[in-house]
Amino acid sequence: MADDRTPTWEDVARVYGRKIYNFAYRLTGNPDDAADLVQEVLLRVRKGLSSYTPGSFDGWLWRITRNAFLDGVRKQKRRPTSPLPEDDRNVLATSPSPDEVLASVRLSEDIQSALLKLPLDFRECVVLCDVVGLTYEEIAEAIESPVGTVRSRIHRGRKMLRELLTWPV
Amino acid sequence: MARVKQSRSCETAELVSAYLDGQLLPGELDTVVTHLGECADCIAEFHQLKEVRAALRTLPFLEIPEHLLPDTHPGELLSAYLDGQLDTSEHDFVISHLDFCTDCRLELHELDSARTAIRSLPGLEPPEFLTVHRERIERERWSRRRVVAAGVGIAAAAAFVFAIFGPTTETGDLDLIPLFDQHQARVSVDSGFNVIPAFAPAGESP
Repeated sequence: MADDRTPTWEDVARVYGRKIYNFAYRLTGNPDDAADLVQEVLLRVRKGLSSYTPGSFDGWLWRITRNAFLDGVRKQKRRPTSPLPEDDRNVLATSPSPDEVLASVRLSEDIQSALLKLPLDFRECVVLCDVVGLTYEEIAEAIESPVGTVRSRIHRGRKMLRELLTWPV
Repeated sequence: MARVKQSRSCETAELVSAYLDGQLLPGELDTVVTHLGECADCIAEFHQLKEVRAALRTLPFLEIPEHLLPDTHPGELLSAYLDGQLDTSEHDFVISHLDFCTDCRLELHELDSARTAIRSLPGLEPPEFLTVHRERIERERWSRRRVVAAGVGIAAAAAFVFAIFGPTTETGDLDLIPLFDQHQARVSVDSGFNVIPAFAPAGESP
């Protein structure tokens, strides 16, 4: 939000919902997990808005989003019967919406598959930068780490992706 | 899990991604550009990372399932959007929504057409008979105003004369003594006038 007034959670859902969903989808590779994460984030936003003091709203929101994602990952680790998918081809077979059909082009599959093989720390930085479009400073605020760490993770994450992707450069 | 080959020879290598993203800190740009002009390995890495970055940014931006949103369509915000009357968050919402919602884009187009049509309506001149009629009404209105003004003047003069030469009235607090005396006189004539009965000791008849 560019202005200083505190938004309502409906504002957040409308303006940021799609970004949060894409962040969640690219991190999990799963539309159901992505939808769950969006709901969880919006719930936390709704609870948190009462104590939110106007400032860097984006930093606040993405910190919530990232923490919700990490909490979800921890829960899944405690329930090994529902692991994160290794390949989004299986996911796309059960998701027939037009956008997901579009997402099933080969390149997208390869990139999504490679993203899921990155360590979480690197994956979240790459997704926040290249999918969500945050600056390094905003990412640093979201993951509560120095900008230097963000810079390093994005660089190393992209290098890993380059090695994982099979198409020629 | 992929392993990253860390090049220890070039400390500048890690700045290549930040260079691609336009996120270098002040003073670093010259260092990177100079280094890229000298180091073949870093130039090769620069091109590879550029390809990866571009590929990541081609990932389609998926539409969020509608059930996750409180109200997925901007509705009446569309007209305000056309008129430039939205605040920042509303504007961002409408823009991002129009990006993927064909229905709302169509509605916006129709609203814009209607708005343009309304605004292109010519300013009409009234028919001649209405002009004549209006002039007559204006004349009558002026004559009425003159009569009213004259009446007001006369009334004001009369009030002034009355104030100067008329009977004087005493002002001040309301004097209750005469009223009280009148009441006392009335009670003395008619004992049934008091609504509160006189006190009578027990056992005695009134």
